Order: sequence, then structure tokens, then C-alpha cells
Amino acid sequence: MENNGKEVRIGVYICHCGLNIAGTIDVKAVCDYAQTLPHVALARTYKYMCSDPGQEMIIADIAEHGLNRIVVAACSPNLHEATFRGALQRAGLNPYYFQMVNIREHGSWVHEDRKAATEKAKDQVRAAVARVQYHKPLERKRFAVDQSVLVVGGGIAGITAALEIANSGKHVYLVEREPSIGGHMAKYDKTFPTLDCAACILTPKMSEVREHPNITLWTYSEVQEVAGHVGKFQVKVRRKPRYIDEELCVGCMECVSACVYKEPKFEDEFNEGLGKRKPIFMPFPQAVPPVVTIDPETCLKFKTGKCKSPCATVCDRKAVDFSQTERIEEIEVGAVIIATGFKTFDATRLPLYGYGIYANVYTSLEVERLVNSSGPTGGEIVCRNGRKPKSIGIIHCVGSRDKKTNRWCSRVCCMYSLKLAHLLREHTGADVYQFYIDMRCPGKGYDEFYERLLDEGIQMIRGRAAEVTDWTMTPEEEGKLVIRVEDTLSAYVRRIPVDMVVLSVGLEPAAGADEVRRMFNISCSKEGFFLEKHPKLAPVETATAGVFIAGCCQGPKDIPDTVAQAGAAAAHAIALLDKGFVEIEPNTAYINPDHCSGCKSCIPLCPYHAISFDEQLKKARIDEALCAGCGTCVAACPSGSIIQNLFEDDQIFSEIDEVLSHV
Amino acid sequence: MDVTTRHIKYQADCDPSFPAAIKKIPGCEKLDSCIQCGTCSGVCPLSIYMDMTPRRVMNLVRYGFKKEVMASNTIWLCSSCYACTVECPREIKVTDIMYALKQMAIREKAYPRRFAMVVLANEFYKMVRSRGRVNEIHLVTRLNLLTNPLKMLGMARLGIELIRRGRFSLRPESVRDPQRIREIMEYPENGNGKEARTQ
Repeated sequence: MENNGKEVRIGVYICHCGLNIAGTIDVKAVCDYAQTLPHVALARTYKYMCSDPGQEMIIADIAEHGLNRIVVAACSPNLHEATFRGALQRAGLNPYYFQMVNIREHGSWVHEDRKAATEKAKDQVRAAVARVQYHKPLERKRFAVDQSVLVVGGGIAGITAALEIANSGKHVYLVEREPSIGGHMAKYDKTFPTLDCAACILTPKMSEVREHPNITLWTYSEVQEVAGHVGKFQVKVRRKPRYIDEELCVGCMECVSACVYKEPKFEDEFNEGLGKRKPIFMPFPQAVPPVVTIDPETCLKFKTGKCKSPCATVCDRKAVDFSQTERIEEIEVGAVIIATGFKTFDATRLPLYGYGIYANVYTSLEVERLVNSSGPTGGEIVCRNGRKPKSIGIIHCVGSRDKKTNRWCSRVCCMYSLKLAHLLREHTGADVYQFYIDMRCPGKGYDEFYERLLDEGIQMIRGRAAEVTDWTMTPEEEGKLVIRVEDTLSAYVRRIPVDMVVLSVGLEPAAGADEVRRMFNISCSKEGFFLEKHPKLAPVETATAGVFIAGCCQGPKDIPDTVAQAGAAAAHAIALLDKGFVEIEPNTAYINPDHCSGCKSCIPLCPYHAISFDEQLKKARIDEALCAGCGTCVAACPSGSIIQNLFEDDQIFSEIDEVLSHV
Repeated sequence: MDVTTRHIKYQADCDPSFPAAIKKIPGCEKLDSCIQCGTCSGVCPLSIYMDMTPRRVMNLVRYGFKKEVMASNTIWLCSSCYACTVECPREIKVTDIMYALKQMAIREKAYPRRFAMVVLANEFYKMVRSRGRVNEIHLVTRLNLLTNPLKMLGMARLGIELIRRGRFSLRPESVRDPQRIREIMEYPENGNGKEARTQ
């Protein structure tokens, strides 16, 4: 066996991994066996091969014994393949003259029979020794990274990430589906546990986004198509027509006053349907951008064509433009941050709680708007029947911790329920009851807030409310809603009459999360929340390089955690852009053009859209930057003209031959 | 009031074989996943009459308080409306567990003497076994004779009236071939099909 005219000299290293491997496998026997294999110049064992002395040993042996191939039998290559390749590189050897054998996860950890496990390890080492002889020197390829970032979603997560990146000098495209940025946080009145006004802390950040020279803000827009790869994503953004020229409109609201509808008539989405708006509207006073939007579904001009359009006449800047159409913007970005947030649980799915049946049953988000001074009632708490509530019941875990709806704990409901209890009591002086299963207040200052609420006289009843009904049993219950519950700590079934019921609805993946996931080629958990690369050590990365996630699209979390995660995602994006290039593993596939028949059978099979067809040469072509090295095309090619680096036929077949040699 | 009685529960008072035996019965496996939220008690139409709420029974069974559970009226009051099973957020089949507890109490005779509910169940079963059909007047007569014969006197008028109007038949009814019914009922009793049931 020759290697560029030189004899192949293989060094084999068997790791003890303390007792992780040595406890089950006779490493000495494996080492002695390796010594007898062809082309093996040297075999050693060591307690921890991945340690510095372990790596130094390989480097010294390469110099001293003229080794030109290395096999390490240790743990999973997922953990230390890069470590040992680095050692080869430092010794002046091409890092791909290396093969790792996993005798821990595939050996000692899953076997009990020491003898059999040792024999299996020998087979694995023999196969690696046979394969490594055929390894070729490979180079990692570098690609330049585009110096801008796309942030999808303009809630507090997207806003934070966009500002961090923009402040580092990179350009950011912030795309938001709604007419204004701000997300759910813009709808909240106060934030727990400090009770600072949500708008007061959010709106300065929103204005900063608008004024930042490095941020291109596209509201009322959605990502339509994504192509490319880390460092160079080609993205198409669909900008829906708002029939207002954003450059000209200054948000004076003259047009809104002039609208032929003298009174607001249509359901106001921002106020959760509790208020009304006109067909031309601004979702809330501090909206960013501060421009109005025309809803063609309700505007008379679009519905009948007969409106005299006083809105257009009254606008002296001529910003109203009924001829506006959908526009597609095409951009190229180096990294993507997805911060598409959540939606709240649909309370009509639990009819026992009477939402949509009894007028005075509210969801927590509706109550947020109700207590807000810019909300539909100007901050006055009046029920749908026009009365001020004297007693209020807040039911926790609506659509959370329930196998029939959503299994997960939504994490924020206990705290926001306590916050709403405080606000409702402050505004109305009503008796407030909390119906909870477990009070979950872990966080800085959170349990202290719970303590404060206990001192304020909020009644905490430990029990999941069984039903809300207007069926009365005592005179005191007349005209009220009755919550039936087992007070589990007193072990009594109780009936508690209240004027208003608040359902603390849980958090779910946002509408359209699945399309976003498919577009950016990332995974999601069973619940539909986007999946991080590692639950502990890579919480903002995804399985797709260059795509990061932040906020509730990854799982329910509160504002402090969301902001922290958005900062982390921004740091990852900045690091990627600052490095300026991406390196890709060379285990990619390539096409031998002499053999390719141009049958195109590989093209639809590629999960990464890496294969294209060269119409001139009538041959397929693989984009190395996109290829993830999965090998699907290699196996599928009828003419055998696709070759994958590190998985060439002689490499794989020699490995298989040796694994099966004793059969 | 006796202030010297200890109400503390020592671990030795618990019987771990009790929850183990219950959980072995098909339908009762999920007992351990109970989060004690009280939904079962809240939706139960009869919990207002129970000395222990169903939620409390679940916890007592789970941790082996057999004596306490067997002495409570909860298991006998359960009318198997299945509201708890439908609403339980952990998908625990509370009604099935109540049935398992009733069966265990009957087998171990852990109920008051002449307890009507158990007598009724036994007499009903016997009648179906011998004839394949139930005759109401015979069943009610036997039930009352075995539990509270004096009560019969008070009900005599109603009974006569019902017979007069043909609502109660004195003639014992039977299916065509009661032997076949008996065979069906004996099949599981003799331990047949056990493997199939535990699957």
C-alpha cells in the first residue's frame, strides 16, 4: 500500500476513557491485536486520549515514527473527531487521514459481556485500519459571509436581536407580519414582577428600530421564499399593500377622522375584538411605523368602488394610494434570526369554562387590554354586561398541563395571573380568587411577588377549576357565574360565585409556524415549537447553520428570558458575520461529469436542494456549499457517477469486508 | 375529645402491595401520573356526598393507605358517570380505579354487613347467571329480605299497585338457553382468557 509513493504507516490509539471503556472492554487485548494488523506501525492505549497529553502523544508519534494514518478508538466522533483532526493538523498531517472508532457508545456502554465486547472492538478497529488506508487528503472549503442579517418577527425578541446586530454595525432586515412591530408585549399593560408599564419600556426600543440607520423595517410583510445557505441566504419578502405610502404618511390620523364610517364599526384585532376600528386605522397610538393601514376587507372603496374616498382628499401629503399592489423584495443575507413568537390557546376548546358562552368570561389577553389605559375602555374595568365586577375568578392552566389539549406548562401564566390579580384588585377593589394547580414562580423577584399578592389578600385556591356555570344553587349565586372546584388543600368541593372569570390561556406555536419551519429547513418539537440544536448547550442555534431562533417560537418563556435569548441569537449572528467566512466539512458529494448521463434522478431526491442541472453540458451539478453530505444522491445515481468524499467505494467496501471477515 | 390519639401516619402503616395490585388491573395503570389537581372531584356530581373526594382517594391509593380507602363511602357512591375520566388532564381512568376498588372491597368483604350496594350486585349477578334475565320484583324482594326486611312493609302498597298495572311480572323470565350464558360467565371466572385481558 502506497501513499504518494510512501509506505502507509498507521498509528492506532485505544482510549480507556477512565473506566467508561476499560471497565467493559479489554483495551490491552484490543491494542495487542491492532499491532498485528497490516500496515499498523504502532498501537498504544491511554487513559484519556482526548486530553492534552493524549493528543501530544499522537503528535510526537507522527514525527518520531513517521506515521501517516491515525485511527483512534474512543467515544463518538460527534464529541472528539474535531479534536483529533486538529491534532493531526498540528503534526503537519492532513486532518482527513484519520478515522475514529466508537467503542464507547457503540461498545462498552451498551454491552455487558466483556469478552464479546472486546471482540467487537477488535472488529471495529480492524475495519477502520482497512478503511483509513484509502483516505485521501481533503481541504475544508471557505465561503464569504454576506454582511447583513434577516430577523423574522418584530416582537420583543426580534426588536432586541435587530437592535443588537444593528448596533454592531451590521445591516438588519426586520420583517413583521402585522402593520406595527411590538408583538404581544405591546398589548400588555404592566410587566411582572416589577409592574413597570410595558409600553414605557417597549416603545423607546420600537422608535429606536425605526430611526436606526442600519435597520430596514418591513412591516405588513412576510417571508415568502428562502434559498441558499449559511453566509448567503437568498430571501424573497412579500410586502402586502397597505394602500398608504409609508414614506409620505406621518400618522396625523386626519384620514381616520375623515372616513365615511363616522363610528368605528369593525372588530379591532389589536384589542382582541373588545374594541372597534374603522377600515382605515392605526393599531395603537405608539405604532411603529406610525402610519395608517387600509383594510380592503372592510373599506367601502374596495368593496363597492362607490366611496368618495374622503381619506385621500383630506390627506395633504397624498399618502393614500388605492392602486398599491403587492411587492416582492429580494435580499441576500448571511444569517437569519427567527423570532416568530406564539399564539394563545383558543379557550373555546374547553367549553366547560364557558368562554364564548357566558359574556363575562374573558381570556387573559383580553383582560390585558381591558386594564390598559389605551385599551377599549380606557382602563376602566367593566364587564360585557356593563357592570363593574365585585368578585373575579382567575383560572390557571387553561390549555396547559392537560394531555387532551396541550401537555406542556406554559411557564408564564402563573406570574401573569398574579399580575392581573394585582391590577384588577387595584382597579376595582374586587375580591380576586386564583384557581391554580401548582404555583410556579421561579425567577428573580417572582416568588417575592407571589408573597406580596398573598399579603394583598388575593385568595389562592389550590384546585383546577372543574366548570364555570350560571346555574345557581343559593340566592347569593343569582346573576353570577359560579366556579365549581375542589379546594384540594381543604379537601372540600366549593362553589364560588364571581362576576368575572379570567382564563389564563397557555402559549402555543404561532399560526404559520409550520410554514416558517419548512421555509428555513429547521425542525420542531412534537408541540410545534422550533427545535434548538442542543437543549442546554446550543439553545439558539438550529440544525441548519446560520439560522438562529429566539423567544417564544422556541418554547414559552417570559420577557427577561426572551430578551436574553434574543441577545444570544444576535451574538451568534454577529460572530458569524464578523468571522467573514464559513468553512464547510469536505465530506460533500461531487459528480464525475464523464459518467453522468444527465438523467436528473438525483435532483428531486436532494433534501438540501443542492443539485442543479447544467442545461448546456446536460449534466447535474452539486453546490458544495449546500451539500450536507447525506449520501442520498450517491446511492441513487444509476450510473454510479456521484462520489462522496470520505465515503468513496474503496473506503466503504474495505470497511465492510473487514467487519464481516469472520462471518 | 380524646387528645391523646395520634393521627400521624407511619410509613409502616402503608401497604405498597395495595397500589401495586390496583395498577395491575387494565385501565388503572396511569394512577401514578396524578397531579392532584382536583378536577375529578370538581366535576363529580356526587362528590358533595362523599366523605373523601375522589382526588383524595387517588392519593391515598397511590401511597398505600388501604384501610382508609376501604372504609370510605366514596367508592360506593361512585355512580360511574365517567365525568372524571373524561375531564382528567392526565387521562387517568378514575372510574375504572373506583371499580377496581369496589371489586377489591367485595372480594375482601371490606364493607358493612347487609350493605345494600354489595347485596344488590351479588343478587343481580346470581340471577343473570341462573336465568340470563333479571326479574325486578324478585330482585327487589331478595335485596330487601337480605338487608332490611321491615322496609318491605312500607313498600307493599307501591308493589301491589305496580303488579296490578302489569309493571311487575311475577313470572320469572328466562332466556332460551341459560346454560350458554353460564358458560360465558364462567369463562373469565376460571381464569380463561387471562393473557388476552392483561395485554
